Amino acid sequence: MLRRHLLGAAAIGTLARPALLRAQEGPIRIGLMAPLTGVVASGGREMVDDFNWYLSQRNNEIAGRKVEVMVEDDGSNPDTALQKARRLVEQGRAGLLFGNLLANTGLAVANYVKGTGTPYFIPIIAADDLTQRGRIKNVVRVAGYSASQTTRPLADWALKQGYRKIATVSQDYAFGHEQCGGLAQTFTEGGGQIAAQFWHPINTADFSPYLGQLANSGVDAIFTMQTGADGTRFIQQYASFGLKGQIPLLGSMNATDQSVIRTMGPEVEGIVTAAHFAEGSDNPTVQAFVRGHVARFGTIPSLYGFSMYSGAMWVAEALEKINGRTDDPNLLIDTVLKTDLVGSPLGRAVRLDDLGNPIYDIQIRKVVRNAEGKFWNAPMASYPEVSQFWKYDQATYLRQPPYSRNFQGIRR
Amino acid sequence: MPRAGPSLPRLGVALGVLLFAALPLVLPTYQVSVATRILVFSLLAVSIDVLAGYTGRTPLGHGAIFGVSTYVTIYWVTVAGGSPWAGMALGVLAATGLAAVFALLAVRTSGVYFLLLTLALGMVVWGVCLRWSTVTGGENGLRGSVRPAALASQVSFYYAVLALVLAATFLVWRLVRSPFGLTLRGIRDSESRMRALGYNVPLHLFIAFTLSGMAAGVAGAAYALFNEFVSPTTVSLAQSVQGLLMAIVGGVGTLFGGFIGAAAIIVLENTVSFYTERWQTVMGLMFVLLMIFAPEGVIGRGLALLRRRR
Amino acid sequence: MEDCLVLDDVGVRFGGLKAVDGVSLRVPAGQRRAIIGPNGAGKTTLFNAVTGVVRATSGRVLLEGRDVTRLPVHARAHRGMGRTFQITNLFPRLTVIENMHLALRGLSPRRFALLGEDRLDAAERARVEAALGLSRLAGRLDREVRELSYGEQRQLEMAMALATEPRLLLLDEPAAGLSPVERAIVSDIIRALPRAMTVVLIEHDMDLVLSLVDWVTCLDNGRLLVEAAPDAIRGDARVQEVYLGKARHDA
Repeated sequence: MLRRHLLGAAAIGTLARPALLRAQEGPIRIGLMAPLTGVVASGGREMVDDFNWYLSQRNNEIAGRKVEVMVEDDGSNPDTALQKARRLVEQGRAGLLFGNLLANTGLAVANYVKGTGTPYFIPIIAADDLTQRGRIKNVVRVAGYSASQTTRPLADWALKQGYRKIATVSQDYAFGHEQCGGLAQTFTEGGGQIAAQFWHPINTADFSPYLGQLANSGVDAIFTMQTGADGTRFIQQYASFGLKGQIPLLGSMNATDQSVIRTMGPEVEGIVTAAHFAEGSDNPTVQAFVRGHVARFGTIPSLYGFSMYSGAMWVAEALEKINGRTDDPNLLIDTVLKTDLVGSPLGRAVRLDDLGNPIYDIQIRKVVRNAEGKFWNAPMASYPEVSQFWKYDQATYLRQPPYSRNFQGIRR
Repeated sequence: MPRAGPSLPRLGVALGVLLFAALPLVLPTYQVSVATRILVFSLLAVSIDVLAGYTGRTPLGHGAIFGVSTYVTIYWVTVAGGSPWAGMALGVLAATGLAAVFALLAVRTSGVYFLLLTLALGMVVWGVCLRWSTVTGGENGLRGSVRPAALASQVSFYYAVLALVLAATFLVWRLVRSPFGLTLRGIRDSESRMRALGYNVPLHLFIAFTLSGMAAGVAGAAYALFNEFVSPTTVSLAQSVQGLLMAIVGGVGTLFGGFIGAAAIIVLENTVSFYTERWQTVMGLMFVLLMIFAPEGVIGRGLALLRRRR
Repeated sequence: MEDCLVLDDVGVRFGGLKAVDGVSLRVPAGQRRAIIGPNGAGKTTLFNAVTGVVRATSGRVLLEGRDVTRLPVHARAHRGMGRTFQITNLFPRLTVIENMHLALRGLSPRRFALLGEDRLDAAERARVEAALGLSRLAGRLDREVRELSYGEQRQLEMAMALATEPRLLLLDEPAAGLSPVERAIVSDIIRALPRAMTVVLIEHDMDLVLSLVDWVTCLDNGRLLVEAAPDAIRGDARVQEVYLGKARHDA
């Protein structure tokens, strides 16, 4: 009954293989959830596409076992996500779950797998606490990042540019609070000052009230945290207000993600962001991935694409080590935690910390025009070995409250 | 003096109860959780039908009343550390209180004004749940282990919900058949006549709305234990609309239609989404077809056919 | 004899329009009174001011000596006022007996009974049977009202008002739209009403009304034109003038 995405050719020769290798009968069943309808459906589609693309490159086999991916639409809705996770685990007998995009969908599913113990991999869900204060052992952020992880190096870089006063403009929800919090805390601890913080509702059509205040605020730079259409609108209005070229614009990685800038013009040029991936890197592995993606889908890969591709690769390599066994969730989780990811589109080896969040070389990226005339994010500086705890002591850090509108970690 | 009803509807109710009681014996675990969901939403649809079917006023804020009960229950257990039973009681209390506030504002309106006013009140609740993040967890909501240990298994939980929903539905059924229930149908048919006969129409509507909200609150509290997670989606307009659609599909003014509507919509949602990503479109089309060919809903249509045969 | 209904300089204005302008009248207990007048004379507005559907903007309405000017409709019903509607106003999707139940319960605390069956006690059943018998609807108990003929619906209007046993019964054009046969039935019902009940009816059709009442009030342009016994009204020049004048105007 399940809508099955049986990938690629039928498995050949399962019977011919020696029985010893078949530690577990049948295919590896993966439940993949993504928002295929609702506000972030385009991102969800890229998640599924790149996940499947990776598996098709391995002939849909891991450790000699066929892989069966059951795709479910979470509808951008946490209640639906929870329902679909139930169905994948209880009816689809998924050995592991993958995906979801919006933090609230991921948190809903995480709460469910806390009870079932099902391994759940979240390359896109960035909610800090899932690998911090509210860590669940079987929830691992393979090839993902925690929200405040990448904005801290950006703050450090900004201080090095001589910026002393920054204002932030952000979507008003937890993901925004966390990204701004990482930046604000590191920036103020380094001697900088957060002059103002503007929080606007998701789907703001008109940014002029904020831009007007920013134009006269006398700040050295502006940091903006945006996703989706808000990103497009903010960047366009920033330029049309005449602020582009006047006040440097820094952003969250989502603000200049390919999913946003691939349809935009020169107004995106020069925006600086920080991320674990830069599609404009001259690293050959990265470029091979980008070329392959363009050839297959006609687009430069987005955050959603490379994260799911790399996440699939990470778990596949762990499964290779244990002969594709998914019957023992603890074994799978422990193996994933111990597996270092090499040769992924990230361009360098990556490992997980003991809470299941990757430690990355974070790239400071700038939007530039590439040889084909397309805009992309090119790296211009790198911060090696950045964990979700930056330079803090883990235990001390976890004693501070999670970032919120009211707590941004600002030191005065 | 109630009419000596045809025995067929009674038989239908008895069969329905038996069917629900037997489900866990034949269904795998996941389907049991789907059935639990159907029960919870049936009660929401039943609560909406009290207003839509009996007073002739269509509410679009019952999702918010339902969801507030869910919020309070989960908050009480996961944040305040209280027991789930007390949480459910507080949830129902909160939903009843909220319904009373809604009622105070809405009972003097009818028709599209009632619809829009309840919609607006529901949106206010949604906004509060979204913005008051220190208490509600904002768009990420609240989650945790809420279900009592005694009801840990899917099947035992199902039977507990079945008992709760049947008891609540029985009380609502008694309510709509009571002298008070007759006054609601009178208000539906003619308010001016009711006033001339000495009825304080807004007072009757206030009582009906509050009790209907209480039933929605019972459903919301059960949902808290079922879902163990709540976010603004649960109090959103979509939730209110879904509850109303269930009542309409089953048949407005039939009360038990809520069960048919909830079952039809949830089962379809689950099956259609197996086959296509465009399941929402398919659901929409089916609803349109139903409204064209059986605007009185499934049970309403059945009763009409039955009446014609006699 | 004590007055059942007293209007003391009652006025109703809608914005600049004076629909009823300083009408005073007294209806002694037990009297049958007709309020007549051509279309637009203010009969219906005056009727609404008495029942409370609209509030009098000036003057007072007294029911059995008590001021009810500011009371809402339902509270006046509790003071003993019952009415019928000109345009049939019943509960079409309920049965005849359910309509009667609602008529009975409006004044009884049982209307708030949340649980339990709705059974009539012996006295209530007697009232229902009497009202239905008087209105010639016995045997129609389980029919939905929308299935009744128009004439039967008019009879039910009467029956419901009767079942509440009002001390003041207000009839709003009880014969409107009826065939001659049906009019005769309604006239019979009105004649058979208990004498203790005060009855005020407004009616456009003079011929029907004059045979039924003790006293007639004629309105014109929102003002009281003349009050007299039916025989005197028939010959009154002013009454003829407003009726015929209107008729000429309408033609």
